Amino acid sequence: MGPYDSSVSAGSSSGSSSSCSVKPADPIDGLLAGAGYRVRSSELRQVAQRLERLETVMINAPTEVSHLANDAVHYNPSDLASWVDSLLSELHQPEIAPDPSTFSDLNYIAHAQGGPVLVNPMVGHCELSSGTEIEEDSGIRLVHVLMTCAESVHRGELSLAASFIEELQGLLTSVDGERGIGKVAGYFIDALSRRVFAPQEASLAGSAFENAVLYHHFYEACPYLKFAHFTANQAILEAFDGHDCVHVIDFNLMHGLQWPALIQALALRPGGPPLLRLTGIGPPSPDGHDSLREIGLRLAELARSVNVRFAFRGVAASRLDDVKPWMLQVNPKEVIAVNSIMQLHKLLGSDPSRGSPIDPVLEWIRNLNPKIVMVVEQEANHNQPEFLDRFTEALHYYSTMFDSLEACSAQLEKSLAEMYIQREICNVVCCEGLARVERHEPLDKWRDRLGGAGFTSLHLGSNAFKQASMLLTLFSAEGYCVEENEGCLTLGWHSRPLIAASAWQAMPVLQHPLPLINHHQNVI
Amino acid sequence: MAGSNEVNTNEAKKVVPLNTWILISNFKLAYNMLRRPDGTFNRHLAEFLERKVPANTIPVDGVYSFDVVDRATNLLNRIYRQAVDNEAQWGIEELEKPLSTTEIVPVIIFFHGGSFTHSSANSAIYDTFCRRLAGICKAVVVSVNYRRSPEHRYPCAYDDGWAALKFVHSRTWLRSGKDSKVHVYLAGDSSGGNIAHHVAVRAAESGVEVLGNILLHPMFGGQERRESEKRLDGKYFVTVQDRDWYWRAYLPEGEDRDHPACNIFGPRSLSLEGLNFPKTLAVVAGLDLSQDWQLAYVQGLENAGHGVKLLFLKQATIGFYFLPNNEHFYSLMEEIKSFVHSDC
Repeated sequence: MGPYDSSVSAGSSSGSSSSCSVKPADPIDGLLAGAGYRVRSSELRQVAQRLERLETVMINAPTEVSHLANDAVHYNPSDLASWVDSLLSELHQPEIAPDPSTFSDLNYIAHAQGGPVLVNPMVGHCELSSGTEIEEDSGIRLVHVLMTCAESVHRGELSLAASFIEELQGLLTSVDGERGIGKVAGYFIDALSRRVFAPQEASLAGSAFENAVLYHHFYEACPYLKFAHFTANQAILEAFDGHDCVHVIDFNLMHGLQWPALIQALALRPGGPPLLRLTGIGPPSPDGHDSLREIGLRLAELARSVNVRFAFRGVAASRLDDVKPWMLQVNPKEVIAVNSIMQLHKLLGSDPSRGSPIDPVLEWIRNLNPKIVMVVEQEANHNQPEFLDRFTEALHYYSTMFDSLEACSAQLEKSLAEMYIQREICNVVCCEGLARVERHEPLDKWRDRLGGAGFTSLHLGSNAFKQASMLLTLFSAEGYCVEENEGCLTLGWHSRPLIAASAWQAMPVLQHPLPLINHHQNVI
Repeated sequence: MAGSNEVNTNEAKKVVPLNTWILISNFKLAYNMLRRPDGTFNRHLAEFLERKVPANTIPVDGVYSFDVVDRATNLLNRIYRQAVDNEAQWGIEELEKPLSTTEIVPVIIFFHGGSFTHSSANSAIYDTFCRRLAGICKAVVVSVNYRRSPEHRYPCAYDDGWAALKFVHSRTWLRSGKDSKVHVYLAGDSSGGNIAHHVAVRAAESGVEVLGNILLHPMFGGQERRESEKRLDGKYFVTVQDRDWYWRAYLPEGEDRDHPACNIFGPRSLSLEGLNFPKTLAVVAGLDLSQDWQLAYVQGLENAGHGVKLLFLKQATIGFYFLPNNEHFYSLMEEIKSFVHSDC
């Protein structure tokens, strides 16, 4: 596990926003970066002037200030220049030509660029429940041996690992297995044990039906999926504004939990609802049963009851890369929203130098020319090449997640939600190659990947932030925290983001003089 | 306002580096938007605008951090420690061993500023500051995420500070030295300095040991308008009007600024004489409009027979320590470093 490159000054091209990637000759100010703001060194004077202008306007028009606070929607505060500009245009202030003489050079003290500054490197934190002293010591020992066991697995010393597993099972008996480190450790010991003793059957993948049930309880027990659905629906609603034919492509329909709210919101929109098509992708059902169609029928019922013209299509596919664009029957007149809640990571490979299954998928998504692509992903680095790194990261991530679950009072939901999480843990810890689908990557990596695939960021603003925060206060325990991250929103437990939502649109493709290619012929 | 509709930025521009000016002006303008005239606060927009960073177990500049939630209070504390050289141990916190059995490692409990209303322990500016503090002073820093006003008024911040002190004292893994105890210092900037003072008073009254207080332009005030307030109103990022707003938001409703939380040696305060009060390092910025109150505080400590060292930085504005691009920053760090190591 090596140190991450946490420098964001010259040379870093993590294309995190819609602004152009930073060229080495145009570095951002390293000290401001450490404070969370990206301002190019060459633009400091300009930004300062705009701040001055903004202040003058604000002083001279105090009622405008309350408008800025209450009505205006703010986006991406890290990009200070554009944030200030957006406020100025809210206040109808035209851009001013930069005046080089305003700031005296005499007193501009040259500042040190400083060493590497951090903006969101991947993190971990070890949270031990502060129980009794004995409990704390046992918990600490447990983590110790867990790590040592993982290390031996990492080195391929399986018989050594086996003996550690035995020791771990013994240690488990001296801690409270119902909460805190005891509970998490239990799941990780179980996962290691499967990897060491029964690698062929290690994956806990159940039937699609079982998965859907567990998913539903995870949805109920904690707010992560509700946040995902809510944030996505808000953004999709905004993207659909003013359009009469809209088409949502859901990469994982499950029970369609996300869609009633969108249908109802569309029903209520000023000017009336559009024609809504929903294409739901999901695994094939066994026994000739068509569960996708059943969900579609129920959603159609709901749509009819609120007078929304609605059409549903199910696409059965075991893996997302089995889906071909022609199956979606996209219509050139409609406006498309692609909705991917925790699906894209399944298409990643572990070797970035070789192509991965996600590349052709991103390409056909882009070729659909969607108005919006909603991407929600686990905010974790579980796709690192080295086993020990993945294990450590997962231990931190899932500890935090289990911690947040402890606030859930509904026992059944909680237990089944834990089983849902357990499957993820097992996949990250026990599986390799094609079987390992839980290849979570953090926001910065997704920004690079999506940016490189021809997508540009659509910023989620203060209105979405506020509504998500308010919902959390109403429905969830204290400790959940929404944060803004350069145009994206994350939901986490205390200070650790666990899930990240981002919105994208396809960058305009060069216009060809040829007529549009019929999608049915565009099969690759 | 200071009687003028012109922007008084001319003064501030001359004394701070450009990026510092941008940073603090940005805060000033954002905060102007967040404070409502009726005394309420736009918390959602504040949280949206706040730049936060997670803790990181991968060391940056030799210091790593991790968060611990105190189960008793559900409050977050972010701990900053010197990194060990062994890479394989990064990521897992050794919470069973003391910091050292031979040397004394000072533990600085830090209360971030923000006039009781803004910022958090995981704000980028404070995360970066605490990392620098830990690295330069070779100390462990515990940054406390206390509850803020106006949602949580006096005495919540002090209660949370007290809880943090008890928490830190009870961690075996924060002990050091041959005497195997936690060597605690309290520190804070602006409202954090005010909190540090009050927690130190409670500690002295309760017999809980605090080895020293570090107050970085602490937030004190009173009903009277002092000369520095009139002279510097609106000139260096801060106005008397905004100070008044924050006191109204923090103090119990209906109270004025002679409340003992605000006016330390004022008409309503209890005497500190005879208390086993820790030595204090008081840092005053010469361009801070509140300096008369801070200097009066220093005088008050001396009058009560307590050790206090004053570091007066004549040309410094508030927030000079956010970016290490000026000599004041380095003077400050040197002073703090020798302050927390002077007993070794």
